[in-house]
Amino acid sequence: MGIDFLILMKHEWLLIAIIFILLFIKVGSKEWKNESILNLINILLLFNCIVGFFWNEGGILFNEMFKTDALIAAEKNILNLGTYIISLQSYSWLKNHKHVLEFYMLLLSTLAGMFFMISAGNLLMFYLGLELSSIPLAAIANFDLEKRKSSEAAFKFIISSAFSSGLLLFGISLMYGATGTIIFSELSQQLNGSPLQIFAFILLIAGFAFKISAVPFHLWTADVYEGAPVAVTSYLSVISKGAVLFVFVSVLYEVFKPLAETWYNVLFLLSVLTMIIGNLFAIRQNNLKRFLAFSSIAQVGFILIGISGNSQTGAASVVYFVLIYIFSNLGAFGVISLVSALTGKENIDDYKAFYKTNKLLSWVLAISLFSLAGIPPTAGFFGKFFLLMAGAGQGNYLLITIAALNMIVSLYYYLKVVKAIFMDTNETPIEKITIPSLPKLALFICMAGIVLTGLMSYVYEYIFSLISAF
Amino acid sequence: MNASVIIFYIIAAFILGAGILAVTTRKIFRSAIWLLFSLIGIASLYFWMQVEFVAAVQIVVYVGGIVVLIIFSIFLTQKSGDEMPKPLKNRSIFSALAVLFGFAFTFNLIKQYGFKQIESTPFEVKVSDIGNQMLSTTEHGFVLPFEVVSILLLAAMIGCIVIAMKVKHNEQ
Amino acid sequence: MSEITVTHILFVSTALFFTGMYGLFTRRNMITMLMSVELILNSVNINFVAFNKYLYPGKLDGVFFTIFVITIAAAEAAVAIAIIINLYRSHHSIDVEDASELKY
Repeated sequence: MGIDFLILMKHEWLLIAIIFILLFIKVGSKEWKNESILNLINILLLFNCIVGFFWNEGGILFNEMFKTDALIAAEKNILNLGTYIISLQSYSWLKNHKHVLEFYMLLLSTLAGMFFMISAGNLLMFYLGLELSSIPLAAIANFDLEKRKSSEAAFKFIISSAFSSGLLLFGISLMYGATGTIIFSELSQQLNGSPLQIFAFILLIAGFAFKISAVPFHLWTADVYEGAPVAVTSYLSVISKGAVLFVFVSVLYEVFKPLAETWYNVLFLLSVLTMIIGNLFAIRQNNLKRFLAFSSIAQVGFILIGISGNSQTGAASVVYFVLIYIFSNLGAFGVISLVSALTGKENIDDYKAFYKTNKLLSWVLAISLFSLAGIPPTAGFFGKFFLLMAGAGQGNYLLITIAALNMIVSLYYYLKVVKAIFMDTNETPIEKITIPSLPKLALFICMAGIVLTGLMSYVYEYIFSLISAF
Repeated sequence: MNASVIIFYIIAAFILGAGILAVTTRKIFRSAIWLLFSLIGIASLYFWMQVEFVAAVQIVVYVGGIVVLIIFSIFLTQKSGDEMPKPLKNRSIFSALAVLFGFAFTFNLIKQYGFKQIESTPFEVKVSDIGNQMLSTTEHGFVLPFEVVSILLLAAMIGCIVIAMKVKHNEQ
Repeated sequence: MSEITVTHILFVSTALFFTGMYGLFTRRNMITMLMSVELILNSVNINFVAFNKYLYPGKLDGVFFTIFVITIAAAEAAVAIAIIINLYRSHHSIDVEDASELKY
């Protein structure tokens, strides 16, 4: 206790402090203009992002309820950075919104929930973190208050997340019954592979699979992504998915190590289904948000291959890929959110001949899609390469072959969008869009991220060195 | 067979009967009332297990809070006399089969596992213990989850206010 | 059969869990779907209390888990109902099928 307790929980403290600053501004009598609030918040978030990189120490607090180390701090920094980018991107949408302060309070409390979840050392904190990161998110999915689609998306999200946490909780309760503890470190010693434990464990995985929208638990994804405001969609598809993936890796690798054979088989099945179904549906979509939803389902399939590697390379490649995925997906979403905030157009057909009018935005979108598809000079290629390397470590070449075939299919539909932008003709292309300075900064960060994380091998080596569990 | 066993069977039948009616009746208001009965049954199961504190919380929060909230929202959004449309026949048959299979599978596993009961240590939940542990930072302390839940409640409250608040249309 | 063991209580909770599941699969009205979720969460609570009382009476982990689950269920129900009311206000029906402007 004492001072180290402030330093170890620094990420969480900062977020809660920002939430309370916003709360006091809200209940205060002074009326603020939206622009000045947004500027203030972005400065606070930048500060939060920068402080995250300093004074990182490892340690355990509150009887193993909270643990942190260099890897966890790095994961939190990645999420902080992603949230900052999203905040910059949603500037045009929030500028005219009535509830900016509430939006940020809820957004940051979900981020705090993810941090608690990543740092959780027992099942209770893990569950609370998960709920804190999903209930307020359902509320902000409804922030396009007049749109029916937005409310429906919010309801679908909250019911499916309640259902998934019901499965997860049933698994947790059986696990508690079979082992007698909720602390991770004691739990892993009590695992003996009896059928009931395996069943409880599979229920747990089903809960996780819902959150990362792996097939067959993906049914909510496309609807929610389409209906929610773009800022929330990009947050859902990148940040909350990334956070759950980080926890998934650490829970599987550290807590459920004794059941490694079981979860390898489950992950094999999930990843094959997820890649195939995600890709098949992505081909058919015409709405860009739905398209990105299904393509992000397919990406999760690749990430599951990396996780199934069960090695230091596996963990490192997942963290590395999530970092790249944040840059590339947010690059794509950044362009879409600009276009949809100003013109309301979201269909792929509307983007035909987009290059004629918006050269810069077209290039950003194209590079992001290249990176998502995994085309060599971009970072996405290296990310997928490391994931497949990690998966190949298990010696299951059938899985790698399926993944390679799926990469080719995904190449087809990503290039279809790029073709629409650059080559197709259109009588009424989207008019020229002037990019406000903050979203421009966000796009710049994304582009720099895509190029630099790919070219500098230092990033991967650094993440690799943080993982000490093996 | 002694009294306690008989009471348990009555409570169990009550919970399950009310629960099944709650998910099958076609009048929404009745469904809410069956839910209420099922929740009261669960509270009495807690009383039967001599975990009075949880039973009290169950009554205060579920029966007094959530069900009342649900009934209010029914009155706000439905014509309470109407019957809901029948669920599709195929869907309900498939769901029933899936659910029965799932139940048989799960309970079979639980039965095979054969939980061993510990008779020696008596189990009692003192409210003072719960209060002390809830706010203690040492071993067996739950102050961190307590704080996390308070943030969650704050966030949920803000979210509800924004969503459900009536928007004023400024018409001149 | 003369004594109630933890397995008997688990029978009740498991049956309740799957009853809730059935409701969630068949119901199309948003409020009734919410009710099914409440049943599922309650079955989990029974599990925790029963395990804590009969198997691991030394610590209060299960009871605390139950209390936190109840709190979360309340928050979840409140947010869900707020969303339902907003939806009702904007288009006067809260059946999932009526609301299916979105398709799978």
